Amino acid sequence: MSGLSRRKFVCGTAFSAAGIVMSDGFSGFIPRSNSGSNSSSESSEKKYNIMQEVMKYRKIDSHVHVNLSSTNSEVQKKFAEVLMNYSERMKVEKLMLSNPVTRLINSIPDGRPESFIANNNSVLGVMKIYPKIFSGSFTFNPVHAKESMDEIKRCVDLGMVNAKAYYQTKINDPSYYPIVEKMIDLKMVIHMHAEAQIGVGGYRMKYNGYKPLNVSIPDDFVDIAKRYPEAIFQYAHIGGGGDWEYMCKTLKNSPNVYVDTSGSNNEENLIDFAVKQLGENRVLFGSDNCYYQCVGKILASNLNESQMKKIFFENYNNLLRKGGRNVD
Amino acid sequence: MSNFINRRKFIAGSALSAAGLLMSEHTAGLNKPENQIASISNANRPSSYNLMKEVMKYRKIDSHVHAHLFDGGPEGNIAFADRLGIDKMFVSRPAYNGEGTPKEFRSYNDLMLDCMKQYPDRLIGQFTANAIYQKESLEEIKRCVDLGMVGLKVYTQLKINNPLFYPIIEKMIDLKMIIHMHAYAQLGLGGYRMKYDVGIRPNTSIPEDFVEIAKRYPEAMFQYAHIGGGGDWEYTCKSFVHYPNIYVDTSGSNNPENMIDSAMKLLGEDRLFFGSDNCYYQSVGKILASNLTENQKKKVFFDNYNAILRRSGNNID
Amino acid sequence: MLIDINAYVGHWPFQQLKYNTCEALLQRMNKFGVDVSVISNLNGIFYKNTQSANEELYEEIRSNSKFKDRFIPFAVINPIYAGWRDDLETCVTKLDMKGVRIYPKYHDFDIIDPACIELVKRVRDYGLPVAFNYRMVDSRQRSWMDIGYVVGTAKKEWNLKDIIPIIKAVPDAKYMILNFANAAVLSPEEINLVKNTDLIFDTSGRTITNMAEFLNLYGTNKFAFGTHSPILDYLTGLLRIESLYSNEADENTKELLRSGNAKRMLGL
Repeated sequence: MSGLSRRKFVCGTAFSAAGIVMSDGFSGFIPRSNSGSNSSSESSEKKYNIMQEVMKYRKIDSHVHVNLSSTNSEVQKKFAEVLMNYSERMKVEKLMLSNPVTRLINSIPDGRPESFIANNNSVLGVMKIYPKIFSGSFTFNPVHAKESMDEIKRCVDLGMVNAKAYYQTKINDPSYYPIVEKMIDLKMVIHMHAEAQIGVGGYRMKYNGYKPLNVSIPDDFVDIAKRYPEAIFQYAHIGGGGDWEYMCKTLKNSPNVYVDTSGSNNEENLIDFAVKQLGENRVLFGSDNCYYQCVGKILASNLNESQMKKIFFENYNNLLRKGGRNVD
Repeated sequence: MSNFINRRKFIAGSALSAAGLLMSEHTAGLNKPENQIASISNANRPSSYNLMKEVMKYRKIDSHVHAHLFDGGPEGNIAFADRLGIDKMFVSRPAYNGEGTPKEFRSYNDLMLDCMKQYPDRLIGQFTANAIYQKESLEEIKRCVDLGMVGLKVYTQLKINNPLFYPIIEKMIDLKMIIHMHAYAQLGLGGYRMKYDVGIRPNTSIPEDFVEIAKRYPEAMFQYAHIGGGGDWEYTCKSFVHYPNIYVDTSGSNNPENMIDSAMKLLGEDRLFFGSDNCYYQSVGKILASNLTENQKKKVFFDNYNAILRRSGNNID
Repeated sequence: MLIDINAYVGHWPFQQLKYNTCEALLQRMNKFGVDVSVISNLNGIFYKNTQSANEELYEEIRSNSKFKDRFIPFAVINPIYAGWRDDLETCVTKLDMKGVRIYPKYHDFDIIDPACIELVKRVRDYGLPVAFNYRMVDSRQRSWMDIGYVVGTAKKEWNLKDIIPIIKAVPDAKYMILNFANAAVLSPEEINLVKNTDLIFDTSGRTITNMAEFLNLYGTNKFAFGTHSPILDYLTGLLRIESLYSNEADENTKELLRSGNAKRMLGL
């Protein structure tokens, strides 16, 4: 089954370059009767082939964005090609796209309903371009309770599959309660931007990190996850630059908080440490549009093949399955 | 209160056997180390190191020690000299505080002369001066040398490479005696990386100042004070690699592991002097704990400074 | 052949590192097919007297005969610390060091401090490369005891514009610019300077978001494989090269990136 859909994936997108990469990758496996000498074929069999490893694993990207700096549909169309290029190159068969409102107005996060509605519309537009590959997350601002609820309903009806929020409001703010309850009903993941940096979001504020006040930090996730043990939270990008040891240690005993591995940081041992602290079921593959690091950091880890499968694909697919939205 | 009683009841009643088990485990645990110690095989035992025997094995000249400065009169010096086998102490009383006027430095030298009278076999005074008062300093040096003092000890009134020092250094060359200068290598002190200015003693001499004056007067002998005085001893010793007329004393309250070995590696075995700066335990401990050979330890504790004294005929037999 | 121009052994005082000895790094190299690694001792960033770190590295490489062919040691020199000229000479003539890594931020001097310029010139005169980097770790996860160059503050992390002044000051030296971690908009004059200098970037940095575009912008002779190991993962730097499609980089170009450019600069 998975073999079939993989073949479909390759055929459907039909980039000749991908075909070349694949066949390059396979050549290492196939014993060649016409190879020059035993020793060379032996060494080529032993040699680590990174692209072969990349192609070995199915992937769902749990954290990836459309172009965050524009709602212009032409810009987004162009960016969709960048995303497809990544999907092809790294064999990512599903992208959970989002477009949270990251804009600051006079250093204060833009929390207006018209802004989150416009951002959701840009994701909905991109989803239509490659509907088999692109899936979407809606964003909102719980301070605007009614507008947020209406928007969630609209987006779900249009096929979006989970929530993505940013630093307008902390995840454990009471204004989130009705949203979390709604997401419990929908059996969807609440994916929240998060940081662990000294001087940010209430963590050791004697160091000024010059960030908005309401950035969610690991301790906020612990708080809300305890209040709603049946909700599913995705702590964004443990590779996003923050202190991942702090993150994973804080979230250890909150079984309904998952982490995604995305972000521009790919520290050696990050993945191994996260799995050691959180177990192999709560770590989700994600890129946050850092297309090399996302795959490299997992392949370079000491996880076994089954664990890599879980992180690249199965763990997130299991979350999707709760609402019947899984891939396969 | 009732909680407490309940808890006691719980222990007394329901969980007796478990408690007993825990206790006996605990007891066993306590016994274990004893058994472990008893079972160390002879081959695996540490060698018996007799520290005080090592302390007493070496004759010692303390090249940097004070009286009437931090910890009272010379009785205290002698008590520690006896305890740690220090034969001779070169005591000084520099202008640590005050302006360092001629009146002041003369009185300090008089104090040292009194110490010498009190313990003529053990204490030798280093005279102090203040090069700002050049004429008075030169006169005072003559007076002190005539009265048996050996070596100049100076402080932070002027940097060692200040031109006002030149005549005094030339005098010391004539006398074939060493110039022992308080010194430091600390961020923000005396011109070393002043973005970290600590705001104290701006005229403190730093390694670069010693290098400059040692180059100008290669026939003079300089003692860079206390590499264990709290400053950056690696920086200090690395600065002096190419300047054979700069010596360092190992005194000071700091006794970092590896300081002595590192200093010897950089400066060789002839340019280190034992000194306490009244930190007696560290002064001996840091040298005994080093990897120096017995011969090198002898040199540091005694011979090196004695070789300096020999040049002016003041050596100790 | 695969040469990693950006690896380390030693400790990071604020976080436990894995694979941070020659032995562990060699296993990593063998597992993933890396022939040779250019390494320096991380401890040299933290020791005031960096020569102790250089000596440690020399001893570690000597401790096992299998290390000699696989590691190329670089010295760490702080040109505002006593005795550095002696140390540089010792490193080059006695400790087999083949280049120097310089850390202006950690060792606290301006990149065009006269001492730094003198150091770069001396290394140039030995015919060896100097290495500067953008950063060692992401400042957002830094320890409270780490240096205060922080993203989003007035004292920010470095980008290429912060490194260019030394290149301008000594344009005929060889440069390795490591862990390309922050973007900068360069003037045409600055781009020309980079292009006309004997300079290579390694592929470990997060700002290289699209390898093909960077090759187009700077040229295929300007990049070499690097991991920033053991701080960053061992494969991402390689993935930037190996995931290039053949219409983006042919085999010859890939070989330049895997080892050719590094060999040229290292004189191998």
